[in-house]
Amino acid sequence: MKILGISAHYHDSAAALVIDGVPVCAVQEERLSRQKNDARFPLGAIDWCLVSAGLEPNDLDAVVFYERPMLKFERILTSALRGFPRSWRSFPHAIKNTLGEKVWVRGIIASHLGIARDRILFTDHHAAHAAAAFLTAPTARAAILTADGVGEWATLTIGRGDRRSGGVTDIALQQEVRYPHSLGLLYSTMTAYLGFNVNEDEYKVMGLAGYGRPTLLSEVRKLIRRLPDGGFALAPEYFEFQTTAERSYSAKFIDLLGSPRHRYDPIDLASPDGQRFADCAASLQCVLEDVLVDIAARLRLQTGLDDLCFAGGVALNGVANARLLRESGFSRLFVPSAPGDAGCALGAALYADRIYFRNPDREVPDHPFWGPVVDASQLARAAHEDNQPVSELDDERINARVADEIAAGCIVAWMDGACEFGPRALGHRSIFAAPHDESIRERLNRDIKRREEFRPFAPVVTAEAAHRFFDMPAGGERLARYMSGVFPVRAEWRSRLAAVTHVDGTARVQVLERSMAPRLYALLEACARRGGVPILLNTSFNIAGEPIVTHALEGYTTFRRSGIDLLVAGSTVVSKRAPAGKESDAWSSSSAAASTVA
Amino acid sequence: MAAVTHSAPLDRLMRPLHHWIWSDRDRRLRKLLTFADVETDGGRDILRAAEVTPDPLLRRLYLEHAIDELHHGDLFRDRSAALWRARSGRRRVLLSGNPLPGGHGLDDLKIEGEPDHRLLAFLHVAEKSAAGRFAIYRELVDDDPATREIFEEILRDEVFHMNYTYTQLARVAPHSYRRHVWYARAKRLWNRYLRVAAALAGVAGNALLALMYFVVLPPFAWFAKRAERREAAGFLSVSRGRRDAAPRSQY
Repeated sequence: MKILGISAHYHDSAAALVIDGVPVCAVQEERLSRQKNDARFPLGAIDWCLVSAGLEPNDLDAVVFYERPMLKFERILTSALRGFPRSWRSFPHAIKNTLGEKVWVRGIIASHLGIARDRILFTDHHAAHAAAAFLTAPTARAAILTADGVGEWATLTIGRGDRRSGGVTDIALQQEVRYPHSLGLLYSTMTAYLGFNVNEDEYKVMGLAGYGRPTLLSEVRKLIRRLPDGGFALAPEYFEFQTTAERSYSAKFIDLLGSPRHRYDPIDLASPDGQRFADCAASLQCVLEDVLVDIAARLRLQTGLDDLCFAGGVALNGVANARLLRESGFSRLFVPSAPGDAGCALGAALYADRIYFRNPDREVPDHPFWGPVVDASQLARAAHEDNQPVSELDDERINARVADEIAAGCIVAWMDGACEFGPRALGHRSIFAAPHDESIRERLNRDIKRREEFRPFAPVVTAEAAHRFFDMPAGGERLARYMSGVFPVRAEWRSRLAAVTHVDGTARVQVLERSMAPRLYALLEACARRGGVPILLNTSFNIAGEPIVTHALEGYTTFRRSGIDLLVAGSTVVSKRAPAGKESDAWSSSSAAASTVA
Repeated sequence: MAAVTHSAPLDRLMRPLHHWIWSDRDRRLRKLLTFADVETDGGRDILRAAEVTPDPLLRRLYLEHAIDELHHGDLFRDRSAALWRARSGRRRVLLSGNPLPGGHGLDDLKIEGEPDHRLLAFLHVAEKSAAGRFAIYRELVDDDPATREIFEEILRDEVFHMNYTYTQLARVAPHSYRRHVWYARAKRLWNRYLRVAAALAGVAGNALLALMYFVVLPPFAWFAKRAERREAAGFLSVSRGRRDAAPRSQY
């Protein structure tokens, strides 16, 4: 059975293809369109999935959309009605936005793919999240927790998943918290208050929290009321996301926490305002963790299960995930590589396969590499044409050279095989550097990533050595498989791992097993043999504001315009020749003549 | 530079409007923020062109052009940030962006699948027009040397961009390059018309929906608020109906 899953129209859209119960490919639209967080209908991703599997649209048994558009429209309309008359400004925008495209999903899919409308199915948004977490996790039964901004009505759900004998699979979401009470929207509101982009920069708030102390706990707790059943309710007087599109926090929110930061104001941690913003972030982070741990601990008691599968945008919060693992009572915590809305494309396809069509459960390969494969010959050709130094080396020599260059303080971009599905670079589209030196972090920020100084860089470490350097609880390696947990760096290693140790002594570590990315694993071993440790600083191969690179030429142009010293794709290694002068110099002589012709 | 950066008649006619915009610090700041976004988006589009063109020389030129545009975006952004920090009345809401929809980078043009001659013609016309307008802006910000310096630097780059696009257009389409330039000018005009039309339609749509909001919605709003008061917060059971919702249902 061939099932295509689609997510679109809100965050980063994506498509995923499941054939006979096993994912064969999945990719976010942004990776192909090169528009960061591209939320448009993912035509490019769909096309790539079908072409790479050698299918025509008519070969598909079903196309599954990751939410129910009319139910979502009902929520938007109801929200506008409840906010009457204060919602008058947001109403036209919301209606145009929704009626313009979002409610016509069935027609859009049918017209683009030319398939019968009865082959187009829908799942609940949180059911797709749950499936993305449970059906990709190597566990027979697990409790399920999903939490994000909002789906149709639900913002958080709890339930359980079971793989029974005979391959029958069941996912039962039993309880939910409904809009407008939302942990995701609480976090997004603080994101906006702190001057960052909503639905994009929430991880910056988490990074900033490391610099603050939770001194504003009592204030932040006024924003969210805890309830006897373990649930929560946002205090509506502090929020405006129901009534305006321009601002999600109210004047009362500002009275409570002080004036907000404008996006162009620098965050100066030495100033009282800068420290207040960091304290806001730290306090929010603390409250979020408290609520999540409480809900998860109750879920553990209710289900009596050892494993928890967690998905939704909130599951991107690695600090909260680590605390969940430590304090909720679950032995293992599974967070998929794409816990956000993009992952729902895969979740929806798997949900349809196992639950709608009742197909027997199949083991899903335990890796995140479902995207386009890098073609190293493209890189070699472009570098040759541009007269850049290119060499073709076998794996052993590549590893030796890269280890040498990294030890010498160079920054290396690394492309290998299929690209990752999800927001993290997990070793197939990464930038590597030595983890020791704090100055490399500054150089990365200044010459390549061009991002805020307070944001930490992550390490990748071999599974065998992980506990030597990082203080992880039991089950921590699993959580760190997709870089989903933040753990303390052992005190004796902090100064020697300064480039990857956050100000609070933690790191968002990726624990790598050889089977997941053998070439990267071999590189880590080569770095250890070179006299170092089997750890590298691992950051995504992109520049701020751009999606992670997918194809070789995107890697090449990023390499050429940034401070990366070496680019490796497959067996091709390109180093940087010192610039001989701008191309424009060669053209300046013809400028006058050309301009007069024009 | 003056010879190649003369402004279009329309821009010269609109000089009083430009003066009005640049004479006020808030409007100036807003304009710079818009430029920052447009230059950055345009830079990314040209970068995409560098990635998809089969022509090695064009790839190098596009890459350099893209680096320039992204740098311009950074210059405008940094200057905006400096002006923002220097503002006295910070409480005022600062609208960002252009009231007209579209106009982001090269969004009028689909990079993939677009032949190089069409892209070059489009870039040439766009760069020439931008250079003319920036020349006016440079004169209007005499009171602000830092901003003026940015326009000076960008104008130098625009001359290169104008010239290489034209020279390369003549290379890749030696028999039809003039036609392509005229076509690009006509298309640009048409796209401007579409943007204005879309903006007007948007305003009309908003007005209609706002009218509907106040005329049709009040009774429904009353019911919705009444129902909201009865709703419990916290955990709610997922109803069996919800759990068993039909796969084909959009509800």
